[in-house]
Amino acid sequence: MRAVIVEDLALLREGIVALLRENGIDVVAQAEDGPGLERIVSGHKPDVAIVDVRLPPTFSDEGLRAAIEARRRHPELGILILSQYVEPVYTAELLESGEAGVGYLLKERVGEVRAFIDAVERVAAGGTALDREVVAELMRARTASGLDDGALGSLTPREREVLELMAEGRSNAAVARALVVSGGAVEKHVRNIFAKLDLPASDDDHRRVLAVLAFLRSGMAE
Amino acid sequence: MLLFVSGAAPSPSPSLSTKTLWSRDLLFHLAGLLTASVGIVLWATGFALSIGLAITYFGLIVALGTLLGCRWFARVERRRAAIVLGAPIAERYRPLQDARWTTRLYALIGDSTTWRDFAWTGLVGVVGMTLSSLAIGLWGAVLGLVTLPAWFWALPAGAEFGLFNIDTLALALVAAVAGIALAPLVGSIVRGLTVTEIAFMRWLLAPGREPAAPAADVAAADAPPPVALAPPRALHASFTLLIAVVVLLIWAMTGLGYFWPVWVWLGLAITVALRVVAERGWQARHDPVQAFRVKAELSGVIAAICWVIWALSGAGYVWPLWPMLGMATALGLRGLFVFRHRLPWIREQQLAERVDVLTRTRQGALDVQAAELRRIERDLHDGAQARLVALTMQLGRAEERVADQPELAALLRGAREDAGLAIAELRDLARGIAPPILADRGLAAAIEALGRRSAIAVTVEADPDQRPLPVVETAAYFVVAEALTNVAKHGGGAAARVRVQRVADDLVIEIADDGPGGADPDGGGLTGLRHRVEALDGTLTVTSPPGGGTTIRAQLPCGP
Repeated sequence: MRAVIVEDLALLREGIVALLRENGIDVVAQAEDGPGLERIVSGHKPDVAIVDVRLPPTFSDEGLRAAIEARRRHPELGILILSQYVEPVYTAELLESGEAGVGYLLKERVGEVRAFIDAVERVAAGGTALDREVVAELMRARTASGLDDGALGSLTPREREVLELMAEGRSNAAVARALVVSGGAVEKHVRNIFAKLDLPASDDDHRRVLAVLAFLRSGMAE
Repeated sequence: MLLFVSGAAPSPSPSLSTKTLWSRDLLFHLAGLLTASVGIVLWATGFALSIGLAITYFGLIVALGTLLGCRWFARVERRRAAIVLGAPIAERYRPLQDARWTTRLYALIGDSTTWRDFAWTGLVGVVGMTLSSLAIGLWGAVLGLVTLPAWFWALPAGAEFGLFNIDTLALALVAAVAGIALAPLVGSIVRGLTVTEIAFMRWLLAPGREPAAPAADVAAADAPPPVALAPPRALHASFTLLIAVVVLLIWAMTGLGYFWPVWVWLGLAITVALRVVAERGWQARHDPVQAFRVKAELSGVIAAICWVIWALSGAGYVWPLWPMLGMATALGLRGLFVFRHRLPWIREQQLAERVDVLTRTRQGALDVQAAELRRIERDLHDGAQARLVALTMQLGRAEERVADQPELAALLRGAREDAGLAIAELRDLARGIAPPILADRGLAAAIEALGRRSAIAVTVEADPDQRPLPVVETAAYFVVAEALTNVAKHGGGAAARVRVQRVADDLVIEIADDGPGGADPDGGGLTGLRHRVEALDGTLTVTSPPGGGTTIRAQLPCGP
């Protein structure tokens, strides 16, 4: 697997590169700013780009904008955003920008090496990796808005847990591992959730996350 | 000018040693004879001229010159004392190097040392002259006796000494021996004269005892002791009284003619009046309004002097009107200058300027503060947070390598999780300082994010069209943040509605809830919000009837 990385702080950039290489991911190029992302993506055609949200010269959401633009130009490119902040708005913008793999993780998740490498591989393969904080915030917002008495509100606590893990991008098997239940039990929960939320059932990881997020976003937009 | 001269002597107050040579006594009195002549001339001329010319301003100048002259004379006298004391008598003057001439004037006239100097200059003509003449005369007699054998023959009728008429060498020799025998006696008498004069000098010329020198004289030598601001006036008063009585007696003894002592009295009264005013001026030297008042008093004193002189000189042509007119004009101009801030039109203009300055500087302070907060947030992001992330990463990698040693791996995981908590705490801190989404996406997005993050249900209605200034935006953001926190805390779980809209040039923010109401508009959190809003010339109103929910409305001007 070929990856590129865009991060302005050398300390972090070099650390992540070392981490990825140790785990068999080929880091083919590095850049420090938004324009650099476009350059290395068109030059190296990687499977996934790992991008910091805050980049020079503006130090605002330059990285996010560059990533969205890159996704538009290279529909096959997976984008994994790293940020110090949880911002569901950014996540939503990112999700809307294309069909390929996408991820949004807090920076400190790089310390959970296994999970991080999983996320990179999932995004490279076209899947989704959303930080649990992002999902939790979306869920909370959806619940707090009081609009979910009929939908989210009807989920059992276990189904909520399953939904949150699904939204993070985990497969049914991964959800089953995380909750220490059988795969069959998870599948049953998923079917129930989709039924309660009135979402079309699907086996495709990415599509079902999108479906969940589309639902969550409808709450955000209220 | 020297403030305090303690001389080379180790003791601050040198004493007369009994071992002092008679020759030093003699030198002291010889010099005294000389200085006494100078002093009496200076004093008498200065005093007479000052009073004589008092009718014109020139008299005042002469008076000031006389005072300065007396100071100079006193300093010479202090050094004359060194002949017998080994070191000059200490002196202490108020500093005259102040930039403003009025202050210098007050320092000169208001200083008790000046008047002691003045007194000594007058007294030296009586005390110094008498004592020194006596001393010189006595030594002259001894000298005459001792040298008699050498010159008695030159006198046609011999030298007469009371009953004795010395006209032979033998008698002259006897007289010479007697002279030699008398010398110790004369020495002792002259020593007595010296002691007397030194006592007078110490009384008048040594600094007053008010400020006790600190125990460590080393320090005293470096830093002059503070100058007493309230010099004793008793001395001045008693001297004045003494001279007044003396001239009255002289007048009485010289045949009760024209009552001239009144002029001397006038001169003495002037010294007292000027001194009192000068002391007040010295105290008021740092306050322009007080100083103006003292100048008015001074003008009053001068006017009074003029009128008294006019009355004493026969009440003829009413000339004092002229100096009064001059002084009134000067005083009026000075008053206009001192009280110019109270002139209505100038005051208004100054207030307007002040408001401009304050507005500008407040804006500047807010901008600086906002920039500073952004810088802190950036520093946290690029500094501590980044390092902690790197640390987390290293710990994670280490954890992978020791996967086969569960205890070690557990330790590393614990460390990584702690670092993760630290990162989360820093994140909350940074968001509280300057939320990045506000800078990135503007107020509407930031408030929506706030709503989502809140523990209660929040509906947001915000015009995202044009972005106000960053300071306004930040203030609005924190108003909403604080208000939502309040609702979550006191609202009993009630939902909140946030509305942000532009009304003309104002940004209006409203946060309403259906909670129990009864919020204290002066409570800690709301007061902080009000300060934030008012710093931007905005207003914050809190409507919170018990049982009727709470509405917080902030109006922030963001016009040009």
